[in-house]
Amino acid sequence: MTAAARIAHPAHRAEHETPLSRQHERQASSFGMWIFLSTETLFFGVLFVAYSMGRLRFPEAFAAANLHTNLLLGTLNTAVLLSSSACMAMAVQTAKFRRRRATVALLGVTVALGLAFLAIKGLEYRSEYLEHLLPGNDFQFDAALRQGAELFFWMYFVMTGAHAAHLLIGIALVGMLALRLRSGGFARHPAHGVELTGLYWHFVDLVWIFLYPCIYLVARS
Amino acid sequence: VKHIATGLVFRVWCGLLALLALTVGTSFIPLGGINLALNLGIAGAKAAIVLIYFMHLGRGQRSTKLAAAAGVVWLLVLMVLSLSDFLWRGN
Repeated sequence: MTAAARIAHPAHRAEHETPLSRQHERQASSFGMWIFLSTETLFFGVLFVAYSMGRLRFPEAFAAANLHTNLLLGTLNTAVLLSSSACMAMAVQTAKFRRRRATVALLGVTVALGLAFLAIKGLEYRSEYLEHLLPGNDFQFDAALRQGAELFFWMYFVMTGAHAAHLLIGIALVGMLALRLRSGGFARHPAHGVELTGLYWHFVDLVWIFLYPCIYLVARS
Repeated sequence: VKHIATGLVFRVWCGLLALLALTVGTSFIPLGGINLALNLGIAGAKAAIVLIYFMHLGRGQRSTKLAAAAGVVWLLVLMVLSLSDFLWRGN
């Protein structure tokens, strides 16, 4: 039945809640989420192109600056974020089987891992600030490589900052989802909201997967 | 799916962490340009695993795959054209 026909025959409006229209709604919202993630890909893509140009223009300075990043904390953070994605994937599974309490618990762990990532990132930012690696008047580096190294750290703060902002939004979304599920929300089909939020969470993970080698593994050998 | 795929999620998680260890390990071996190729290749493999096993891109509708592909295709155009201009500008 077309939408016009449904409006013309109010008696059929009840069919709005049939499994079929619910399925359409579900497909439409996941399609919308993927389009949004595509635009996000381009947003981060621009930053990666800018980074690549800097690295091609100042290869020695990027290599030297990279050695001032904290490989241990960066690698730990990658593991934390990959684990959070695995948790999120489990939550989507348990939500499909209507295991409400398990889903809430897994979403809680996902939030905790996201917060752990931000805390570790904060520690890194603090030590970089103390080592005068924040671009600006206070930036200190070997004079011959200063220009390129400052560009590296400029890209570093912009890209990890944009990523952290996205992660913060993800933490808020997953946290709100967990609270709504705990108080009995999404009674009919709890899996849908979890799935959509999961897509966003995994995307933030994808961005970090590419950021990690660009920041921490430029010239370690 | 008839049961909760705990085993699959666990194996995927282990695989992702193994790839992380591999990329860290190889980046300490001096291989010249191959280091960069390895790092990007491993990042691509990790991304593919997340897209397939966590985001279920393969199970999505055709329009979903098209939306995802559009983002990647435009990104490639952006990268290839910007960088080819930059590399052949000749300073």
